[in-house]
Amino acid sequence: MILAVAGLSKRFGGLTAVAGLDFVVGKGEILGLIGPNGAGKSTTFNLIAGVSGADAGEVCFAGEPILGLAPHQIARRGIMRTFQHNRPFAGMSVTDNVLVGAHVRFSRRVFGNAGEERAQRDRAEGLVEFVGLSGLQAADVVTLSFGQGRLLEIARALAGEPRLLLLDEPAAGLTPVEAERIAGLIRGIAARGIAVLLIEHDMRFLLPLAHRVVVLNFGAKIAEGTPEAVRADPAVLNAYLGSHAPA
Amino acid sequence: MKRLLSWVLAAVVLSGIAFFMGGYANDVYRKLLLWVALALSYNFLFGISGQVAFSHFSFYGIGAYAVVIFVFQLGLPLPLAVLAAAGLCAVLAAAVAIPSTRLEGFYLALATLAFAQLFVVVLNEGGKVTGGPGGLADYRLPEILGFRLAGPWYTALIVLLVLGTAALLWRLDRSWFGRACRAVRDSPEAAAAMGVDVARTKVIAFTLASTLAGFAGMAYAFVDNTVSPTIFGLENAFLLLFMVIIGGSGSHAGAVIGAVLLYLLPFGLSPLIGHHHALVFGVVMVAAILLQPKGLVGLAGLVRRARA
Repeated sequence: MILAVAGLSKRFGGLTAVAGLDFVVGKGEILGLIGPNGAGKSTTFNLIAGVSGADAGEVCFAGEPILGLAPHQIARRGIMRTFQHNRPFAGMSVTDNVLVGAHVRFSRRVFGNAGEERAQRDRAEGLVEFVGLSGLQAADVVTLSFGQGRLLEIARALAGEPRLLLLDEPAAGLTPVEAERIAGLIRGIAARGIAVLLIEHDMRFLLPLAHRVVVLNFGAKIAEGTPEAVRADPAVLNAYLGSHAPA
Repeated sequence: MKRLLSWVLAAVVLSGIAFFMGGYANDVYRKLLLWVALALSYNFLFGISGQVAFSHFSFYGIGAYAVVIFVFQLGLPLPLAVLAAAGLCAVLAAAVAIPSTRLEGFYLALATLAFAQLFVVVLNEGGKVTGGPGGLADYRLPEILGFRLAGPWYTALIVLLVLGTAALLWRLDRSWFGRACRAVRDSPEAAAAMGVDVARTKVIAFTLASTLAGFAGMAYAFVDNTVSPTIFGLENAFLLLFMVIIGGSGSHAGAVIGAVLLYLLPFGLSPLIGHHHALVFGVVMVAAILLQPKGLVGLAGLVRRARA
């Protein structure tokens, strides 16, 4: 078990966005966090990544509490993330973008570390190839397509050698072919022992991919289990289709 | 090795030409070199780190005034005065930068604009310490070990300062620190998610660039052997901004090209249109921002790509 979330709660004024949420993610596991719009998926994601503060609960990463740490401190511990709306560093090459992802892997030295710089650059170029952007290492990021930009997001996050990867709707806006490629990539990442927590509302993408699924509705967990079990769960069908709809 | 050799060669050539110049040409050349040094460090602050600050030229002034005050009023030996002036620049820069990390873009610009204005007020009202509106004059570079740098030798010292600034910033830009600065400029949220401490990166970049401006100011103090408040007003702070934008914001070469061009432009324009060269600057500036936001360096890139 690499991540343990317990009793996590977040209110925005009168609205409870996340209510007493519990779940765990194991090493090398792909956990899908799903739910209708407004279910609290993104809020949960932001609480784990340190973007916003929780009102109650606990988040433990590798046995240590991380709630209340700033985003850069959480990245330093080994949790890297991607953004749903790609956020590349626009003035830099593809490889330099990935090298920013390796920021926490550098020693603090600025001078006399040409060897380290070269080694990290080689690794970054390898990662660019691993995600399927071969030949684009020196390209300016603004020339990438949206789908390529998503692959870059993943390469950049991997450069930090995370133990947990947070993916925010990695298939959103992609063509079916691109989505299939991303799914293959995510399987490959998990096979290397990296835990993956992904938010998704495209069930067709998520269900064949996730090892386990947590379903949220109105900030609370309504189901948890294998994709097959969750798919058949009446509570889930209710949440997605409404109680009077023929299931 | 090859790189080191090219830096040495640059130092020899750039200092060498000073020995073939007359007194006036030497004076123009020294000021040109100082503008290049300032543009390089301002490019790191504005172009690479994305901090819109108007305090850079004030730190040039702080370096200049501080070294003169420390040597001639406190009686410190020159090397100690240089260190103390650099320390003063760093402390003041950190004092401006740390609260400013809570502010972004527009507000940092306002805070540093206020700082620049305050600096001029302090110079004017500083009584005997700053010499008031007339500034400080009638001093000379002290001797070190019985030897006083003068004429082309002092120009050579300025060449070393420029090359040192360039080498340091060039090296930093190609390190994890330079990439962190650019990342913070392009997307602070994404930079933080990659483990970059955004506030810390901004403060370090601001303090470092401002202290480098202070060093250039110390060299300037012994170019004219006088420092006065009129020099350190906002006009030159804006000129510095124009240099970096017209040359190509974020590019070291752009900063050098912008500084050389805008410093020398009035020498060419004045015989033609007198003091109206400011008008030409304004038009060029507007054209640069509207038509070519990547500056002259970006234009060169376009031409290269069109040919390829």
